[in-house]
Amino acid sequence: MGSTTIKDVLISLTALLIFPGGLFLLLVSLAYEWVDRKLLARMQNRVGPRWFQPMADTIKLLAKEEIVPDAVDASLFIGLPIVALAGVLTAAIYMPFPGLPPIGSFPGDLIVTVFLLSLVTICLGLAGANTLDRFSLVGATRTLTQLFAYEAPFLLALLGPAFVARSWEISEIISYTDGRWLLITQPFGFIVAVIGLIGKLEIPPLDAPEAETEIVAGALTEYSGRGLALFRLAKGVALVLGLTLIAAFYLGGVATPLLFLVKTLALLLVIVGIHALFTRLRIDQTVGLWWKYGTLLVLVQWLGIIIWQGVMI
Amino acid sequence: MSEVGKRESFTIPIGPQHPALKEPEHFLISVDGEIVTDAVVRLGYAHRGIEKAVESRTWVQSLYMLERICGICSHIHAMAYCLGVEQLAGVEVPPRAQAIRVLVAELERIHSHLLWFGVSAHEAGFDTLFMYTWRDREKVMDLLEGFSGNRVNYSVNVLGGVKFDIDDAQAIAIREAVSFLEERTHHYLDVVTKDTMFLQRTRGIGVMTRSQAEVLGTVGPTARASNVYREIRVEAPYAAYDKYPVKIILDNRGDLEARFVVRLTELFESYRIILEILETLPDGDLTTRIPRRIKAGETVSRVEAPRGELFYFIKSNGSDTPERIRARTPTICNMMSVMKLLVGHQLADVPMILAGIDPCFSCNDRMVALNRGRNKEQLLTWEALRQYGIDYYKRRSD
Repeated sequence: MGSTTIKDVLISLTALLIFPGGLFLLLVSLAYEWVDRKLLARMQNRVGPRWFQPMADTIKLLAKEEIVPDAVDASLFIGLPIVALAGVLTAAIYMPFPGLPPIGSFPGDLIVTVFLLSLVTICLGLAGANTLDRFSLVGATRTLTQLFAYEAPFLLALLGPAFVARSWEISEIISYTDGRWLLITQPFGFIVAVIGLIGKLEIPPLDAPEAETEIVAGALTEYSGRGLALFRLAKGVALVLGLTLIAAFYLGGVATPLLFLVKTLALLLVIVGIHALFTRLRIDQTVGLWWKYGTLLVLVQWLGIIIWQGVMI
Repeated sequence: MSEVGKRESFTIPIGPQHPALKEPEHFLISVDGEIVTDAVVRLGYAHRGIEKAVESRTWVQSLYMLERICGICSHIHAMAYCLGVEQLAGVEVPPRAQAIRVLVAELERIHSHLLWFGVSAHEAGFDTLFMYTWRDREKVMDLLEGFSGNRVNYSVNVLGGVKFDIDDAQAIAIREAVSFLEERTHHYLDVVTKDTMFLQRTRGIGVMTRSQAEVLGTVGPTARASNVYREIRVEAPYAAYDKYPVKIILDNRGDLEARFVVRLTELFESYRIILEILETLPDGDLTTRIPRRIKAGETVSRVEAPRGELFYFIKSNGSDTPERIRARTPTICNMMSVMKLLVGHQLADVPMILAGIDPCFSCNDRMVALNRGRNKEQLLTWEALRQYGIDYYKRRSD
């Protein structure tokens, strides 16, 4: 009994810290960041970074001095990036990443996962509100405004597949969606989920919270060194996990690592395409987009699903 | 708000160092939430004392000094100065030289407008458009480099003519580049008038009515986008513009979209003029002799820079150095309109509206007259002014 417990603990720790969670996930997120930047650069007629650039950036930032401004709550200032990264890394436990069954699962883990992914945004908002910097304050306001705009439609869009799978447990949903392309039956949900992910990660065109030509770096303006590196990593991980979730739910599942790679990269290509094609939306336009169209589309789809299921029964 | 008393205004400093600005300038934007309630500008960060400096240089040396007022429209500054000095000296410049001056001025307008177009796309968060326009702009930069050897301060003018001739190979290169750019400009015009997302950021934003534009004294494309008939190339043709007449481009909407449309449509005029000049380039000398000492007198020289009317006042006392030179650049005329237009708009529109006038701060910041309430005129030599600057910053750093 004792020996098996130690073995179990070791396996769990490996799963959490090295593979597939933890270190491996961080490396994958850096690789995806590179793909993102390279694709965007090629679309914009630029050369783009070399493959190790995101890693070099992160290492450099981690090694640099972190300047804690006066008039901030220092423990909050240092703690928030750690909480953000810890949150997204925890979310990975319930994900079919990278094309393997989730390490852990329990009924309702979908909600927990979505909440953990939102933790990054909440931490960002708090980090901005924690400083006295005026760009950070405006950035924080916008970050939280955007959170309220996309969160409900995004969650509803992810609950669509859960609804047809009749479970709120990710492992059960993915065993239902495996081979079933819900993209075809729930196209609105897919669109809202993808745009929701763009809004969640503040990728252009929904990057009003960190619009550099207006408010420099938004909520992160005062961050340097380790805090900035951790926030960047947290966003990178959130991107990978978001892609995994949408690919698993809408694109016929990610049963093998190869399928995972192909489907998430295809999705990333779509997101980069949107990034390259559109002008930044103002924050009022973003909110309008979500509450006028996003939520409405998802609700229409929900209505469709409910009626369809009623007919089937 | 009034019941609670005066609410503490939340001000956002844009500049002197800010990613939205490519040059140092300070804007203090007061906001209520996202809405701008007040805007104040502080100029002078790029002040280099050029107007004072030329007073201790000869007429020829001053040409190169004045060319460096602006890095984007360097040719037009030199051209305005040359036209003024030639007028004072009573010298007739050969027609071929005048035509080449106009040709280069139009090439400069193209590169300036494309540069502006890219920058304002970047301000709107549309970086792809920014990259594309700047790639296309390289064509013009290559042309300018091709016949002058320089990309920025091409130094085409000399007093009494131009330095560089256009040969057949260059004419072919210019024709090729212009036809390529013409096609691209059609595409860009499509983008700014049809791209829904882009229009959300430009249509109906920063509207300036015709009367506002006139009262605020705007010039150039900013004024023409508000339907103000103001274009020096048309109203008072200089150099060879009387032989190559320009069609004025007007728009009556006065918003940001109109400013985009006016500038891009102007490019077609520039392409047409360039091709026309290449067809009918008159033969003859490039320069004429000009005396080292310019006759005493004063004159005003007005030209249409890419950003609007550029105004030079030149005064000579008969020696080999200018007595006084004053340049009034278009940005200073348009700047006040920005402060007016910002109020009531969202913070997100600030960079766009600011970019809408195509500001050039280093053009802007030059001599500031200190009026200390008494009519005590202070005259500083170039050295004294330099020393004053050094002491001033020493005192500030102590």
